[in-house]
Amino acid sequence: MSAPAKYLALAGVGARRALGERAALVGYCVFLGSVLFIFARVWKLIGVASPLPGVGPRELVWYLALAEWAVLSAPMVYLAVEADVRSGDIACRLVRPVPYVGAQIAEALGEAAVRLLALGPSAFLFAWFFAGGLPADPRGLLLAPPLALLGSLLWVLSLVLIGLSAFWIVDTSPVYWIWQKLGFVLGGLLFPLELYPEWLQRVARFTPFPNLCWAAGRSAFGFAPVEACALFAQGVGWATLLGLALYALARRARARLVVNGG
Amino acid sequence: MAKLRPTLAFLRALVATNLRASLALRGAFLLQAGLMILNNLAFFAFWGILFGRFREIGGWKLPDMVTLYGVVACGYGLAVAILGGTRNLARAIADGQLDPLLVQPKPVLVQAVASASTASGWGDVVTGVGMLWVAGKLQPESLPFVIVAVAVSGLVFSASAVVVQSLAFWAGDVAELARQLWNWTLNFSLYPRPLFAGGISFLLYTILPAGFVGFVPVDLVREPSLAQLALAVGACVGWCALAFAVFQAGLRRYESGNSFGTRPS
Amino acid sequence: MSAIELEGLRKVFRVRERTRGFGGALRGLFAPRTREVVAVDGVSFAIAPGERVAFVGPNGAGKSTTLKVLSGILRPSAGRVRVAGLEPGRDRGQLGYKIGAVFGQRSQLWVHLPAADSFDLLARIYELAPAEYRARRAELMKAFELGEIAEKPVRQLSLGERMRCELVASLLHRPEILFLDEPTIGLDVVAKATIRDLVRERSLSDGCTVLLTSHDTGDMERVCERVLVIHRGQLLLDRPVEALRRSFIPRKRIRVVSEEAELAIALPGVVRLPSAPHKTELEVDLRAIGVDRVVAAIVASGRVLDLSVEDPPMEEIVGAIYGGARAAERTA
Repeated sequence: MSAPAKYLALAGVGARRALGERAALVGYCVFLGSVLFIFARVWKLIGVASPLPGVGPRELVWYLALAEWAVLSAPMVYLAVEADVRSGDIACRLVRPVPYVGAQIAEALGEAAVRLLALGPSAFLFAWFFAGGLPADPRGLLLAPPLALLGSLLWVLSLVLIGLSAFWIVDTSPVYWIWQKLGFVLGGLLFPLELYPEWLQRVARFTPFPNLCWAAGRSAFGFAPVEACALFAQGVGWATLLGLALYALARRARARLVVNGG
Repeated sequence: MAKLRPTLAFLRALVATNLRASLALRGAFLLQAGLMILNNLAFFAFWGILFGRFREIGGWKLPDMVTLYGVVACGYGLAVAILGGTRNLARAIADGQLDPLLVQPKPVLVQAVASASTASGWGDVVTGVGMLWVAGKLQPESLPFVIVAVAVSGLVFSASAVVVQSLAFWAGDVAELARQLWNWTLNFSLYPRPLFAGGISFLLYTILPAGFVGFVPVDLVREPSLAQLALAVGACVGWCALAFAVFQAGLRRYESGNSFGTRPS
Repeated sequence: MSAIELEGLRKVFRVRERTRGFGGALRGLFAPRTREVVAVDGVSFAIAPGERVAFVGPNGAGKSTTLKVLSGILRPSAGRVRVAGLEPGRDRGQLGYKIGAVFGQRSQLWVHLPAADSFDLLARIYELAPAEYRARRAELMKAFELGEIAEKPVRQLSLGERMRCELVASLLHRPEILFLDEPTIGLDVVAKATIRDLVRERSLSDGCTVLLTSHDTGDMERVCERVLVIHRGQLLLDRPVEALRRSFIPRKRIRVVSEEAELAIALPGVVRLPSAPHKTELEVDLRAIGVDRVVAAIVASGRVLDLSVEDPPMEEIVGAIYGGARAAERTA
């Protein structure tokens, strides 16, 4: 089996697992609906006095829907990696022909794909219902899926990185929480970065977080293909960086295994 | 009630033992509590930014939001630190871990929920106290209301969790459902009151416990009045009574041996 | 008055298939699929105060169920149950003060704390007077040799040490009756012997009634004077331990090591079991022939280097009971 085929097969495994957990999928859809319900009211109460041109309460609800869509589809792969490290299973898996890290990513992407497909229609329907219609320029929505997929990929890459840190830190959950909060705040999960104070916006642009949520979300604001491509390229850049970091960390981990005997 | 003294002694000993157990793992305790503080602050940052931009949401200003957070964080933190066994109750029921408790002469529910502690809860308490201090609610005239509000918030949360987890007596694998509802309730108790002014939403948030964990106790602190006090305490007593009733009913079912997962041997 | 009295105990379970996930849980709430399992079917016995009784039977026989009914964890479907004069289903709260229980796989000790802390909490649970509690605790800790062990967190203890702590915990309030469910499971030989001796001594010095369930017939022999054998929910046998051995299987096993490679023994009622050269293993049916005659025959047929006469292992006795070998029973 060639390498791409192997990874595809692993993605299939992840996808099938996600399909099996139907109850969890329903749970995520319900959660998404409730968050949109809440924030639709928030934006309505704040009123039309939005500082962004052409962006009103309706678009802000769509923004949230798209941002959440990307975030909710990433599986908690760091838990699986941490468990492997703790149990020592990783010792035998790091030497298998398919690199362990690649395998985890492939499986996680498979799961993410299923969740994106499952949550997509719900996100659309809920947003349409609670926002009271489509955004001012609905064409922008077409640009969302690739950006959301890229956002998911970035989450997955960072989560595997966090999971691998279990080699050095015993309990990675705190690291995850902090990363998640940073992602939400600096990634503009609940509302767009444009609403943040200047200094915070500048800080955020130096991090990969905006590509996690904000990039997908802002498609709600209008059809801007050029900007979208730029964001996509940026996201790919961050993905490459994270990928390199993963590669380096995995090698250190393997070295550590060899030295410590697993 | 000749039983009062020994019962109080028992409760005091139970809570003390629970706290000692949670401190036994020193390093993990500090880490979890500390990180929870960071976690809460980051979470609150949203509202900070939003209110910074928009001044007010339906009449609520930032200090109101800080008060809300303070009360809920304190209440929730105490609930998981002292009654930490609530989170795991469904699994304990399914695994038969209640058996040793059934043989002892003290109430099973109390022992089951007060026999574990989640260290991160103390981080929540610290965050909550800090926020209440910032909001200026720790003054002598507001302190009694704050204490009642925190107690109501924590108790209603725990009681509602017990009701859901007790479904394990009837339906088996409730752990996932219970976990989702746990997060939901906490999440939705942290939204500002004006969001629920409309008829239906108001109803939802009073029937679902989120309202009694969040804005009802907080209203007691923001605008103390006898009516609010009665409402908050009444809701608390009601939810606790419901929790006991549901658990007892479940226990009777457990004793008949017909609850889920009982393997006759 | 008996410590424990059971009359016609019947326990029927309606077992539902376990469901997966919350879709299944919802279905389980509204439309469950059930089947009936009779775990205990008309069991009756009485145990006097101070007796030590073993409750023996294979998996699924109904031992744990019966124990749970007696300790108040389960309610009977039918029958009359009295424990320490109380009805367990109805008076569970009161009964708690009079009974102690150790379930082999479920602990009543707090795992991250030293056992001593759990003991202190139990003193409050059972409302023991402080001076009395301290004296009792000292007495038990000495008898069970806990000393330092009680000061270490329970999770750092070995299984044997943990079991000793559990036993002390269950004895602090001087229960009239002690229920032990598989107390020696998972222990090594030495630890098993220690636990057995300790339980027996305690029962003798405190006068407490002991009812223990076990798979291990060693528990039965070393601790108890009486055995109740249960199988498929029914009581097969209720005998003193000694009588069980003597009357139930009227056989003895003789092992011989001889200089000759093989001994020629042909007697009625004597069966030769397969063995190695120079070794002979014989099974003697005591109804057909006396052991003395067989031994005489052996000694006469060759040069004997070693000879032993044994009872068949208790496992075999009990196994034979399950196998329905009641036909072979001789009245005691």
